[in-house]
Amino acid sequence: MSRPAVRAVAALAAIATAATLASCASSNAPSGSGEPAGDPVTGGTLTYLEHQTYTNLYPPQAGFYPNGGIVNNITARLTWQNPETLEIEPWIATEWTVNEDATEYTFELRDDATFSDGTPIDAAAVAKNFDTYGLGNPDLGLTVSEAINNYESSEVVDDDTVTFRFSAPAPGFLQATSTINSGLLSPDTLDLSLEEFGAGNATEIVGSGPFVITDEKLGTELTFEAREDYDWAPPSFEHQGRAYLDAIHLIVAPEDSVRIGSLLAGQADYIRYVQAFDEARVESAGFELHAPQTRGVNNSIGLRFTNPLLSDVRVRQALVAGVDAQEVVDTIFTANYPKATSALSSTALGYKDESSFYEYDPEKAEELLDEAGWEPGSDGIREKDGERLSLTVYEAKPQPLSKQTLELIAQQLKRIGVELNVKSADAGTYAEDIQDPLKTPLYHSMVGRADLDVIKSQYHTQNRDTLLSDDAELDRLLEVVASEPDPAKRVEASQEVQDYLAEQAYVIPLFEEPQVYGTAPYVHGVEYESVGRPLFYDVWLDK
Amino acid sequence: MRYALRRAGQAAIVLIAAYTVTFLLLQLMPGDAILIRYDNPELGLTAEQIQQIRINYGVDTPWWQQYLTTLAGYLRGEFGYSTQYGTGVLDLIGEALPSTIALAGIGFVVAAILAVVIAFLSTLSPFGWLRRGLQAIPGVFVSIPVFWLGILLIQVFSFGLGWVPIVGADPVVGLILPVLTLAVPISAPLAQILIRSIDEVRLQPFVTVIRAKGASESRVLWTSVARNAILPTLTIAGVLFGELVGGAVVTETVFGRTGIGRVTEQAVANQDIPVLQGVVVLAAFTFIVVNLAVDLLYPVLDPRLRSGSRRTASGPATVGEAPTPVEASA
Repeated sequence: MSRPAVRAVAALAAIATAATLASCASSNAPSGSGEPAGDPVTGGTLTYLEHQTYTNLYPPQAGFYPNGGIVNNITARLTWQNPETLEIEPWIATEWTVNEDATEYTFELRDDATFSDGTPIDAAAVAKNFDTYGLGNPDLGLTVSEAINNYESSEVVDDDTVTFRFSAPAPGFLQATSTINSGLLSPDTLDLSLEEFGAGNATEIVGSGPFVITDEKLGTELTFEAREDYDWAPPSFEHQGRAYLDAIHLIVAPEDSVRIGSLLAGQADYIRYVQAFDEARVESAGFELHAPQTRGVNNSIGLRFTNPLLSDVRVRQALVAGVDAQEVVDTIFTANYPKATSALSSTALGYKDESSFYEYDPEKAEELLDEAGWEPGSDGIREKDGERLSLTVYEAKPQPLSKQTLELIAQQLKRIGVELNVKSADAGTYAEDIQDPLKTPLYHSMVGRADLDVIKSQYHTQNRDTLLSDDAELDRLLEVVASEPDPAKRVEASQEVQDYLAEQAYVIPLFEEPQVYGTAPYVHGVEYESVGRPLFYDVWLDK
Repeated sequence: MRYALRRAGQAAIVLIAAYTVTFLLLQLMPGDAILIRYDNPELGLTAEQIQQIRINYGVDTPWWQQYLTTLAGYLRGEFGYSTQYGTGVLDLIGEALPSTIALAGIGFVVAAILAVVIAFLSTLSPFGWLRRGLQAIPGVFVSIPVFWLGILLIQVFSFGLGWVPIVGADPVVGLILPVLTLAVPISAPLAQILIRSIDEVRLQPFVTVIRAKGASESRVLWTSVARNAILPTLTIAGVLFGELVGGAVVTETVFGRTGIGRVTEQAVANQDIPVLQGVVVLAAFTFIVVNLAVDLLYPVLDPRLRSGSRRTASGPATVGEAPTPVEASA
């Protein structure tokens, strides 16, 4: 068969499967790997293209996706969060007990696990890990992990038993032990300074996971090799023992067209960050898309009410009603980006449907602005006491297609007489201006973490404080989420926060953000941890 | 000897000036690398923790104090650490440099060959239409954006035709497309200058004399015109070094290659001042060396510029007016 003929047949086949794929694309079940392709094969090297260079491998700084994708594969954790059920399952810890007010956690460890330098993963090593992540190490520049709150101390009970104590209830700690921010490193590695965790030193990082980094070309390439002796996968995994792959070759390819082209041309097997506008191209060529959700605070716009223009709740409600998130999703994104219905993602723990607050209703928006005293001026933009209702938002480089999203929203808001200036800035100006509600009244952001604490991370004044809030009531509600020991009451507390955010119109939720990856048809066993970082342990190649 | 000392002194001044200007400009920019890295919501640090980090890094000390500290470090041979990665600046640059030297060096040679081919064919070719066509090429080349050319070459030769892989290629094969991407825009100004000086030199009386003595057109071109026309081209070649660096930034990013360009791009994006300082000093140093080399090459190519006959020529720009053309002494 000639080449064009082959392509035509492939295209027909692709169209046939595309229909089925499209119907399940928005569900979160791992759509990958298509039909069962026989028994997994051990061996082979996976070529994985990353979008950005990693910056640091200190686990608490692994929130940055390029860092997290690496840390996820070179470290084991105490516990494993099942990405489908979000239940916490044993990993290095075989069992654990928590006291009634969640201030004391005791973990029993399996006794056969080792770090890649051969030292055992015992209670002392685990204690040192959490002392570092919970308290930081200022001398070495090591920061405290965002996931760990109120950490006080550890106690090595015996070789296989360790106890952690907290100064206040820390119900989020169990989930925190499963995140990549708590990846277990050898005690010697924890003596490295933050600089030594930086790029250029990756082969020195001694972890506990199924892979080790054996080679690094600064800023562009990393080579991972499977550990032959790895035999401590979470017991709930079907696959035990070493990883199927022999090696992974991670190459940084910042240019979108190069990543997509390399995958389609057979030069790469697995790529991160398929832009929404490239999804159809990948699928129609018969390749697989994977869109694991990030399960946290939705991609949304925070309305900083400490800016005088936004202090009136009616103005904020008008902005919420004036933004058509469905149009954003339909125009710029795909079915992998479901429209948001609350501050939290519908796949997040504690989610409550608040869609009645977030309906697009431009007429209501105009009424609210009229009521609040904002009258249309000569150019259609509303004015009050000589001041124009003109707001600024910065393009958020970490968010997918942020500029396009914000520009579309600016058009929508213009229809109700609100001017939205979408600015782009260098990293320095951005970092400075987003701290000032006068310069940045609207702020575009999201955060992924599969725990109830995530909402506190995003909005509490002592955490990310994305609203630059001065609302003590909001802080109080958030603190309940992070300190209530009873799981059912924590869920209620999170829902109260979502109610409050909706009533006060503090945020405009846009969509539930996925991480989108592409793989070649012969790549099987594609899996992600609970917020969409790739896990290469089960991946195998059928070619 | 005195000449060498004077050049070394000039070089030192240029280096310190480059260093100082970069430092001041970077200080003027809003924000700083610590802010960018640690005030990043992805870390979720509290204001107090960030303040502690700022104190540790000493970013809030007065700018002149920082200037003196880092300058003293440079004089001792300590180039500091990248704020973004924590990696030593010398390690970052040292690891990236060989790859960039290979890319830029080969790229420049290819550009020079390309320029010579275009220039000579456009003068020698017997067909008027071909001459005109070739003479238009530099204009086209100079207006091709490097990133566009890079992506186009990748799409056609790697993804379309599958001739050269981009990902996981061996080092030699991996150089082909990046070198072409870099060479095309560099060759354009070289070819333009070469074509123009060939045209100018050909109108000189000494060329008419040689032709009258019965030399063939190509002999005239190769032996007489070329040697005179190469001087202005050499001057431009020295200046084009800057373009080479700029081209490397784009080429390395598009092709995902390790290199100084890539390091620079990342450092600019993150206001990684120690790295930028290192790159600027390195670039200034190379610029000085390249231009020194060019200056030393003039007398080799043009006997009128050798000491002793200095009075007859004030520079390569006046080649045409010189009473004794190069051919005469050859």
